[in-house]
Amino acid sequence: MPGWCHAYVRFVEGMNRRVGRFAMYLLYVIMAILLWSSVTKIMHVPALWTLEMAQFTLVAYYMLGAPYSFQLGTNVRMDLFYARFTTKGQAMWDVFTVFVLMFYLGVMLWGAFDSTVYSFSVNERNPTAWRPPLWPIKSIITISFALMLLQAGVHLIRDIATVRGEKI
Amino acid sequence: QSTIKWRLQTYAGPALAEEVVKPAIDAFNAIANGQMEIELYTSDQLVPTSELFRAMQNGTIDAVQSDDDSMASPTEVTVFGGYFPFALRYSLDVPALFNTWGLDEIWKEEYAKVGIKHISAGSWDPCNFNMKEPVNSLADLNGKRVFTFPTAGRFLAQFGVVPVTLPWEDVEVALQTGELDGLAWSGITEDYTSGWSKVAPYFLVNNISGAWIGHFFANMDRWNEIPPHLQQLMTTCFEQSHYRRQWWYWAGEAKLRVEGPDMKLTSLPDEDYAKLEEAAHKFWDEIAAESPLKAKVVEIIRKYNDTMVKAGAPYRYS
Amino acid sequence: MDHNTIALLMFSTMLLMMLTGQRVFGAIGFVAVAAALMLWGPGGTDMGFSAVMKLMKWTPLLTLPMFVFMGYVMSESRLADDLYRMFHVWFGPVPGGLAIGTILLMVMISVMNGLSVAGMAIGATIALPELMRRGYDKLMISGVIQAGSSLGILIPPSVVLVLFSLIARQPVSNLWLAGAVPGLLMATLFILYILIRTKLNPALAPPMSEEELASVSRAEKFRLLRAGLLPVFIFVAMMVPFLNGWASLTEASVIGALAAVLAAIVKRRFTREVFETATRQTLAITVMFMLIITAALSFGAVFDGLGAGRAINNFFLNRLGLEPWQILVLMQVSFLVMGMFLDDTAMLVIVAPVYVSLAKTLGFDLIWYGVLYTITCQIAYLTPPFGYNLFLMKAMAPPEFTLPVIYRSVAPFVLLMLLTLILVMIFPELALWLPREVLGR
Ligand code: NA
Ligand code: NA
Repeated sequence: MPGWCHAYVRFVEGMNRRVGRFAMYLLYVIMAILLWSSVTKIMHVPALWTLEMAQFTLVAYYMLGAPYSFQLGTNVRMDLFYARFTTKGQAMWDVFTVFVLMFYLGVMLWGAFDSTVYSFSVNERNPTAWRPPLWPIKSIITISFALMLLQAGVHLIRDIATVRGEKI
Repeated sequence: QSTIKWRLQTYAGPALAEEVVKPAIDAFNAIANGQMEIELYTSDQLVPTSELFRAMQNGTIDAVQSDDDSMASPTEVTVFGGYFPFALRYSLDVPALFNTWGLDEIWKEEYAKVGIKHISAGSWDPCNFNMKEPVNSLADLNGKRVFTFPTAGRFLAQFGVVPVTLPWEDVEVALQTGELDGLAWSGITEDYTSGWSKVAPYFLVNNISGAWIGHFFANMDRWNEIPPHLQQLMTTCFEQSHYRRQWWYWAGEAKLRVEGPDMKLTSLPDEDYAKLEEAAHKFWDEIAAESPLKAKVVEIIRKYNDTMVKAGAPYRYS
Repeated sequence: MDHNTIALLMFSTMLLMMLTGQRVFGAIGFVAVAAALMLWGPGGTDMGFSAVMKLMKWTPLLTLPMFVFMGYVMSESRLADDLYRMFHVWFGPVPGGLAIGTILLMVMISVMNGLSVAGMAIGATIALPELMRRGYDKLMISGVIQAGSSLGILIPPSVVLVLFSLIARQPVSNLWLAGAVPGLLMATLFILYILIRTKLNPALAPPMSEEELASVSRAEKFRLLRAGLLPVFIFVAMMVPFLNGWASLTEASVIGALAAVLAAIVKRRFTREVFETATRQTLAITVMFMLIITAALSFGAVFDGLGAGRAINNFFLNRLGLEPWQILVLMQVSFLVMGMFLDDTAMLVIVAPVYVSLAKTLGFDLIWYGVLYTITCQIAYLTPPFGYNLFLMKAMAPPEFTLPVIYRSVAPFVLLMLLTLILVMIFPELALWLPREVLGR
């Protein structure tokens, strides 16, 4: 495989791994927010912001963590036939089917980007008493889909390499 | 020639939609006789309610039934949607304000600016408190955790009410577990239909608004594409829908107060209710100071209420 | 294109795409966005993304990572070891006692987590080697562990019922309570089955030997009983703040997760490795669920918006001309058949909206229907060719547990689950009594 392929794989995987490892710890941020919410309730001064902040953090958690989960290979496949292929056979087959995934992620990225631009342009806010702006979380979602798409590219390159009998 | 198909999504859940919108849609489809068909979708069915406005603007949804607030409308008039405190005493105030006093043109203009056809406004139920403990004075509201609308919450905070934002489906359980002390969300008809009457059985008869304002909207391009006679038919059917809701809520609100088995009625002393009303007028000033357009709407509401007071009974008894 | 054609086309394309072996969420999402782009008209590009926002507003989803995390803390730190030893010495002397003990262990684990995967992990690492050493029949071992761990989604807390609550718009607490009695009933049926089987053929499940029994002192036996306090502690830590209104359900789930961590720390088993594995696996499982739900939500909304949902509704309600009860049975049967082939989360989000609205139109109680649905999911975990527990068993068990063994082992338990399903259908009170008692529904 050409050198830029190696560089691309190394760069994207390194970045997604770091982003994913960061996202992984957001689990504890969600816990802290919800605990704090409970504390304020016991003190009879319930916080307005905790539930929405926990929702935003959950979205950031699984969205930013998604490309890393692709690397870990933990997204289920229905592998009735797939599991019976050889490694090379699987790679050959994946070279085609990964475009299905890329198409989906591409359309999601498109929708997310549109919605983010909108949220900036009207300074969109959550319709609640706290009224937080929505552009931060929408930006995070957009970036996440872009990262997922880049990660799908890594899988494509790797599968092509496997088909050619190389290893990246 | 093929049937024109529209998707209309309401903010109302399936049970409520059955009463407040489905009859009008069924009537429209029957009369349109195959020339056009509106498919009705309930709350969150196609897109989440908070994205409704944007979806309609993009043409993902052709038409919407909602208040301005719930669908996260980006217009200047949004703050008046839902429950603007003490602006309305009776549900008939809504069509009066829109059709005779000029709110209709303002709404149509504001929505046209963002690519939306405002078809018409209609009134829904009043905003009463339903609580776990009886409320007999303004002081009883102090420190209560109450599920309410954003604008109402902003207004009620000065009386020590703690507005709590929860997903609508979680409200019943939150009342059961004591996470909430009550709601300022609807009239007594919806308290019974939602099952809240059982878990928060004290109904405060003094409302903070006599009716909720809900509208029908459509994507402007879609609206312009349909022939005038279908535009007229839609306008008429939706007008009929406002009328149906008017008597449905009016009858339900009175009947359930008297015959409803779950809820006990409480009321505020006159001087306390007057304090609430006074605070509402101050709140109007705050909103009016935010922009010239808001000032204009507040002015209309103020003049309307003055006129009603001067007119006396049956428009105002106090 | 008419509605029936669209329904058929979208559904069959999705099945076909899933068979390609591409990631499930990619296959479902692809069909959703492609159908939206081709058939929706203007604004169709947004249908995929709006599911993300819809998901964000669904608060009970916050409990999902918490209950997954709880399960991993428990299995990784081997918190359940003592619990298993307790059942082992107390039930060991009875023929079939260890298998019964395993079922009881699974009930306890179910009280502490919301999925079936923690039960599988604990069953395969702790119970399986012991049962093998005692010379238990392979079919018995494999069946008990798979069936027992599936109780995790019926006995509260349950992630599957959280997802159902989102679709049906019913309170999660009522659904959870409704699952408790049927869950215990099912466990009882499993135990009765084991007793009867071992009575007929004692070689399947030999009791503990005299000398081994003698080696455990009386004091040790009573010391082990204390292990039974762990699930009680975690359950109380979650439920007391919730029932007092100090914490919502989501907040209570955090308290439960932290209680599991606390228990592991007290036992000096919360190592760096446990922390890393639990944290990473929780992310992996949460992402897997969320991506499937997102894709399936888009699919469901597009399916609905193109009129296909109405086509199915119309088919059941008008075309077939059946009684409500017959339709209900038909829906359950079709769910069972789909459960053989489909991922259960995908099945829930895609099919449930249509079925739930059908059940509602027919006048059935949706809390009760949620319990029926969950039992169907349990069955789906066990029915070949596709089933979570089948795959987990293959992955976790030693090689002599071949696929045919695993497939065959679940048969009696699937029948018992079907029996529970039928009992709950005939006697709805089994599900509805407890929530009414506790919450006054
Ligand atoms: Na459970
Ligand atoms: Na299955």
